[in-house]
Amino acid sequence: MTHDGTAGVEGGDLDDEANDADRDHGSVCAYTEYRRGDESPTDVPRTGAAADGLEEAVWDALAGVEDPEMPIGVVDLGLIYDVRVDDGSVVVEMTLTYSGCPARTMLTENVEEAVAAVDGVDDVGVRLVWSPEWTVEMVSESGRDALREFGLSV
Amino acid sequence: MAGSFEASDGLSSRERRALETLLTRLGDDEFVLAERYTEWQVRAPSLESDLALANNAQDELGHARLWYDVLADVGLDERALAYERDPADFRHGTLVELPFETGDWADAVLRSYLYDVAEDLRLEALTASSHPKIADRVGKIRSEEKYHREHARSWLERLAEDDDGRGRLQDALDRLFPHALTLFEPAVPPRLGAKASENDVAKAAAVDADVVDLGLRTATLEELRSEWLSIVVPFLESLDLAVAVDRDAENPEADLDALLPDARGRDGAHTEAWFDLHDELTRTYRELGRTETTTIMEAPDG
Repeated sequence: MTHDGTAGVEGGDLDDEANDADRDHGSVCAYTEYRRGDESPTDVPRTGAAADGLEEAVWDALAGVEDPEMPIGVVDLGLIYDVRVDDGSVVVEMTLTYSGCPARTMLTENVEEAVAAVDGVDDVGVRLVWSPEWTVEMVSESGRDALREFGLSV
Repeated sequence: MAGSFEASDGLSSRERRALETLLTRLGDDEFVLAERYTEWQVRAPSLESDLALANNAQDELGHARLWYDVLADVGLDERALAYERDPADFRHGTLVELPFETGDWADAVLRSYLYDVAEDLRLEALTASSHPKIADRVGKIRSEEKYHREHARSWLERLAEDDDGRGRLQDALDRLFPHALTLFEPAVPPRLGAKASENDVAKAAAVDADVVDLGLRTATLEELRSEWLSIVVPFLESLDLAVAVDRDAENPEADLDALLPDARGRDGAHTEAWFDLHDELTRTYRELGRTETTTIMEAPDG
């Protein structure tokens, strides 16, 4: 997911069709199936309750990823919108509570590392999505208990 | 004819240019405004307003990153866009790059108001964007932006209550209004490394027409400007401020065009203030590899 330092700003003449066609767009971001914002699923966040096999192991790993500011995991916080497992290839779709979240890179990297460490996972892609917008209603019951214990009113 | 932006590869050169131009203007506005807002930290008139503006700055920075993220799909790296790009390649309107008049809170809240109303309208016009990733982001951004407008409006009302405050607002309005109009100017396609030519400048309007034609944004810049005027002019007039627009004039469009500053930002021409700000905001990045600390005085002998 991180694109840090992998590609520089491209120069070149945008009018030049041939030049354009030569560019390799595909290698930068491998995931191009986007869900339309206005067709947002109502079944998010997901918690992996019905998962089994490798997918279950991935959900277990995700449950162990903590929010850096509060004593709550990213699954309980309701940040994980989807996990797709295809052989050893895993795609995690997640959101953040706030677009300007300063822990953005930290969170996505922690998610990526936790999933990558699962036996049988060969590669991981983490995609940030913003629809539907995260709300406090997405926090799980046990997550609410943890946040109340922490002193937040939820 | 709406384009298909479901997949980022396989875009035609027309689609790619429209997408890059739209996202660059969106991201750059937010990025540069965030940078300017941070100058108010520990200087705003009250602790609450200090925190509010710092928070708005963080919001705008987050939104800039959301737009730059979409550019990552066409191979443009966020860090390079923010810190390695030539300052002349930025496409923000000059409204967001101007320095604040020293200590002039009226400037800060008026600028925020002019900008945030414009932003809300353009976000509305992106809600049904043909690009799924753009549409995906709009709801989140709008939910955070509504507080900015509330904040700006309430401060404008307070400042306009007495003659001194209203006078400051009027000065700020006279100074900023022409620059606010640049928000609705077509952007010259960013060449991202190459110098813009006169040919590019002439192309700006055509590229913005592509943005609408391809369904990336569902309103034209003229429509957005006209909507913006219909909101900001009556509100400012209700505060007894005089806006330099005669909406009943014979040819209001031409009058507005005449008000535009020479450098509009969107056209790749910027005020000197932008180059200074850019130098400052990229300094830490440029010095990341340094191996010596800065000293504030000579080491004492012995």
